[in-house]
Amino acid sequence: MTNWAVEAREICKRFPGVQALDHASVAVAPGSCHALMGENGAGKSTLGKILSGIYEPDSGQILLEGHPVRFANPMQATQAGISIVHQELLFCENMTVGENLCLEDLPNRRGWIDWTEMRRRAKRWLDAIGADVDPDATVGSLPISLQQMVQIAGAIGRGAKVLIFDEPTSSLTLRETETLFEQIRRLAAQGVACIYVSHRMDEIFEICDSVTVLRDGKTVGTRPTRGLTRDELVRMMIGRSIDTASVRAIRTQPGEPLLRVEGLTSPHRFREVSFQVRRGEVVGFAGLVGAGRSEVAQAIFGLDPSATGRVWIGEREAVRRSPASMMRLGVGLVPEDRKRQGLVLGMNARENISLPSLAALSRLGFIERQREYDLARRFFEAMDVRAPHVDAPSAGLSGGNQQKLVMAKWLAADCRVLLLDEPTRGVDVGTKSEIHHMIRRLAAEGRAVMVISSELPELLTVSDRILAMRNGRIVGEVDADSATEEALMRLMTGVEAATA
Amino acid sequence: MRRALSAIVGSQQFGLVAVILLLGTILTLFGGTHEDRVTGQTVNNFLNPQTLMQVATFASFFAIMAVGMTMVIVTTGIDLSVGSTYALSGVLTAMVLSKLYPIVTQPAPGAVWVAMGLCLGIGLAAGLLNGVLITSLGVHPFIITLGTMWIFRGVAFVLSNALSILVPTSLTSFAKAPLGLGEGVTPVPVIAMLLVAATGWLFLTKTVTGRRIFAVGGNLTASQYSGVPIRRILIIVYAISGLTAGIAAFLAMSYFGSAQSADAQGYELYVIASAVVGGASLAGGKGSAISAMLGALLIELIRQAIRTLKINQEYEWIIIGCAIIIAVVLDRVSARVGSARLTQGRA
Repeated sequence: MTNWAVEAREICKRFPGVQALDHASVAVAPGSCHALMGENGAGKSTLGKILSGIYEPDSGQILLEGHPVRFANPMQATQAGISIVHQELLFCENMTVGENLCLEDLPNRRGWIDWTEMRRRAKRWLDAIGADVDPDATVGSLPISLQQMVQIAGAIGRGAKVLIFDEPTSSLTLRETETLFEQIRRLAAQGVACIYVSHRMDEIFEICDSVTVLRDGKTVGTRPTRGLTRDELVRMMIGRSIDTASVRAIRTQPGEPLLRVEGLTSPHRFREVSFQVRRGEVVGFAGLVGAGRSEVAQAIFGLDPSATGRVWIGEREAVRRSPASMMRLGVGLVPEDRKRQGLVLGMNARENISLPSLAALSRLGFIERQREYDLARRFFEAMDVRAPHVDAPSAGLSGGNQQKLVMAKWLAADCRVLLLDEPTRGVDVGTKSEIHHMIRRLAAEGRAVMVISSELPELLTVSDRILAMRNGRIVGEVDADSATEEALMRLMTGVEAATA
Repeated sequence: MRRALSAIVGSQQFGLVAVILLLGTILTLFGGTHEDRVTGQTVNNFLNPQTLMQVATFASFFAIMAVGMTMVIVTTGIDLSVGSTYALSGVLTAMVLSKLYPIVTQPAPGAVWVAMGLCLGIGLAAGLLNGVLITSLGVHPFIITLGTMWIFRGVAFVLSNALSILVPTSLTSFAKAPLGLGEGVTPVPVIAMLLVAATGWLFLTKTVTGRRIFAVGGNLTASQYSGVPIRRILIIVYAISGLTAGIAAFLAMSYFGSAQSADAQGYELYVIASAVVGGASLAGGKGSAISAMLGALLIELIRQAIRTLKINQEYEWIIIGCAIIIAVVLDRVSARVGSARLTQGRA
């Protein structure tokens, strides 16, 4: 019988309205890196949160080194030896690294904080994982990658035997991701059981030895990653395979330019950006995080007051750009962060869809209720938002459905130029494919679409042309039909091909 | 039938109305009776037209302001200057009136309309100033309105030399017009309150600007990305808040027959309390004009309860403080239970 570091047996967890986990099980051996995969809403994050004490299971059992355990809160789990590395969690951002690492028992002498001892302990923990972080730095001032290192240092310092990584790379650059992976490999080599929650397939194949796939809260199966193909994994996740050919089959002959940008410059963000997107065309933007792609989209949409340069929408030049004036010209921006920038979560689906279109839906300042409902319902259905009805609270929808809602909102506003920034971030595989189809269809219907994405396969699937940005400049253009990920990556990073 | 019933029970205002009715019943049952000096009839100490109207009238002055305050709070803002705006509009208006109509008891044709225009205009201007300062300086509304709270009252103090200024009696006849409802029953301020609350409700729930107010309070960034004119919306809510202070000042000044710079001192707290008891969330994105009015009525009813039940007046502040905390906590709990039931029902 194997000695598992941690084992979850037949875990059930119900949230209002959903059975998040339905007799889900997973077991992880010491020294291995085990992936938890599944679409959004499959329950992988919930299982991670139950293991780390953030949620309590309704039923089922957790065994830590063979002994049943129960955690009422994350602190108990940490003390028992299970910690979670989660980017939205567990830090007082206004305090120093040292204070955060020692928060649950601050070294003190009769109530007065012992700063020397605190620094020493923090330094010892950070050194233990080889993290070069100043214990006196304010956590909020550190990049996400270093904040993660601090979390890992804290977990290991407190004696973690099991470490759970919940979507750890979603805001890391490629290099930071590499550093994190080295760290994970080192921890596994030291005997720590790592659980890696993600839906990024490349990463799973790169660092995990085995993978457990969840679907609708149930365990579909556990496999070693060696010998497993992507297709098999996708089929386990969504119960069918997806094809990109049908996405690319949707195409039309591009017409006149609808979006034309010339010499767009914003100090310290991007310089001399010029391009155009024609009617019926999808133009992808590739680049590393920080290359200036989102900033260009925001500047076009009038969100960057310091941007200079000229922008035309159709025949009209957009001078004095603001979101309101760009909207009137028929431009919509689906922003990167749908919760922060895309939706008013306190409002329902209908109110979010109609928000940019209110002026057009009103008479004498009063919203015409029936017209608002008609419009909202039409695009709610066009985008195939999966919610009980158009008045459903937007906060309760899954990531993919929220994303569809943000797109519905701009379609309802009758946009002919769509700027899509990371349109499938945090969206599950099935919905992702749906959104890809929709993007192609929206262009084919006569719109000009600009797509920013950090996922190269996505850009290659949805785009007609791809522009690569590096350090705030457009450095190249490729045809999506003939381009390869490798060629794009070379443009993005500025690395020449090894052989000419 | 059952659906209609559950719609009523589930509505936002049901809890508040239920509490108001319950407290009213308690006061009726335990308030005792007295003998009317003129008619010799036995009259309930609480359930009589004069007392009820008095409660509603006193509530109306800050209920009106609570409607404006609710809009400010929905945008995650706060307006601490309403009490001072009230004093400033009252004092300035009274001063102008005393120049136009030196003898207060003489018939003053048009005085009511002059006073109304001035008072509302000054309140609106003060609110606009708040809004412009907040949006152009980028300082938190708490700080700006804390400043203007002192500035507005200070201006009223300096200009009036802290004297109480009488206003033409025609104003009082207007504000205390019985409208045929009987002796001692003067419904004008209460009617004004109902009108303001109804208008506020229509504005918040049915108009483009109202919807945008909720959007800005729910998520400022997303609203900006949706082309909502943030600056304009914020200026509008502070202007409305000032305007409601002007309306309240006009009614109170007319009702009481005078204005002075010390009027409505500390009123901002009653106003904020009314909005919050009415369910407005300081986190933004949530609030209702009707509920704010009900909140004001509830607070005034509690003050009346202290008088009717002959509780020592010294305990008033303690009781009101406790009542506010309890009301808000109960509202949060019932909202959580309500939303849990809703989502479960849909699954």
